[in-house]
Amino acid sequence: MVGVVGGVEGRPPDERELVLRARRGDMRAFEDLVSPHQELAFRVAYLITRNPADAEDTAQEALVKAWRGLGRFRAGAPLRPWLLRIVANEARNRSRASGRRAQLALRAAADFSGEAAPSPEEATLAGSERELLLAALEQLPDDARLVLECRYLLDLSERETAAALGLRRGTVKSRTARALDRLRETYATRV
Amino acid sequence: MQLESELHALASEIAWPPTPTLRPRLEPRRRELRRPVLAALALSLTAIAAALAVPPSRAAILRFFHLGAATVQIVEQLPPAQERPLAAGLGPTVPTAAAQATLQGMLLLPPLAPPPPLHLRDGIVSLLFRYHGAVVLLSEISDRNGVLVKKLAGSATHIVPVQVGHNAGLWLSGAPHLFILPSGPPRLAHAVLLWHDGHLTLRLEGKHLTETAANTLAQTLG
Repeated sequence: MVGVVGGVEGRPPDERELVLRARRGDMRAFEDLVSPHQELAFRVAYLITRNPADAEDTAQEALVKAWRGLGRFRAGAPLRPWLLRIVANEARNRSRASGRRAQLALRAAADFSGEAAPSPEEATLAGSERELLLAALEQLPDDARLVLECRYLLDLSERETAAALGLRRGTVKSRTARALDRLRETYATRV
Repeated sequence: MQLESELHALASEIAWPPTPTLRPRLEPRRRELRRPVLAALALSLTAIAAALAVPPSRAAILRFFHLGAATVQIVEQLPPAQERPLAAGLGPTVPTAAAQATLQGMLLLPPLAPPPPLHLRDGIVSLLFRYHGAVVLLSEISDRNGVLVKKLAGSATHIVPVQVGHNAGLWLSGAPHLFILPSGPPRLAHAVLLWHDGHLTLRLEGKHLTETAANTLAQTLG
């Protein structure tokens, strides 16, 4: 599936060893540790900040914080949820500070870069149900939108979504169900 | 289920911005810096402990030691000072970017949503928030900014060395001590955890803060 980051929570067998080496100051081990997660980290940051430059800064900053905070990471625990939590916290701070998020929208095609997102009406004319679905998704409140984007666009598990959004797993489950209901209503009125 | 399938399918059609090559500027971990810090701290504390253990020297004692951007000085008698609210003199609130710029990107935040407001004055970034119902003040100072804060403690203030994660720190409790900022009047401070993390000096203060709570909170910062 192009564009979807793998959602398997399993860890490579040497992750624990890399954590221990990185804790001893081995920067190369840290790079090996986080490298598989860089794309996902960037996309989580992008979903929250909605600005590629901010997302890049966020991901860079989050990796620095992860490096500095590695001593607090519980060895043997999966790294990805922990890393995503740091990225998402950083992204929320940056998003709030910049105040630019509302001006940006998720694109359905790369060609739209730099322009306003297509309205639902334009999407209808284009005959694209996917664009309609995207437009409906984008109109959800932030809480509902983010939980669905994490679960379905990034293919995060409930646990990872909970870590990224700072929620309990049960909350992720219930919020996802409510968000789907709401999306279903909105989407149904468009197709 | 159909909507969920459509959402999954939608994922493949999102034009994500290209993922940049992330090359964070990593500094050596504190583990490498810890030994000299601990050694210096241990020497200072040993001197203090030795001096305090000898009653005749108690009246004349005048010792000090450094931890990052903070200096703690033991004095015979505290100068007069007032007890002031923790919120006093923190400076205006600033965006995260400004706080990060002041601290060279080393800002640490408590895991609260939304994050507490950031105040900035004299190179000190301060956050005031509630932790388990009690008001606490977190102050962060970069060692690289030339900012120094000072603490004057009398002999009734208990000062003990602590570990905050991998970092060396001090726990000040008992009788209030005097907290002196680069500008503004000094004030009395109660329980304080002071520690050094990389090039960052951090300080947690709360009237009802316990050592365990302070240390736990300190280790959740990120």
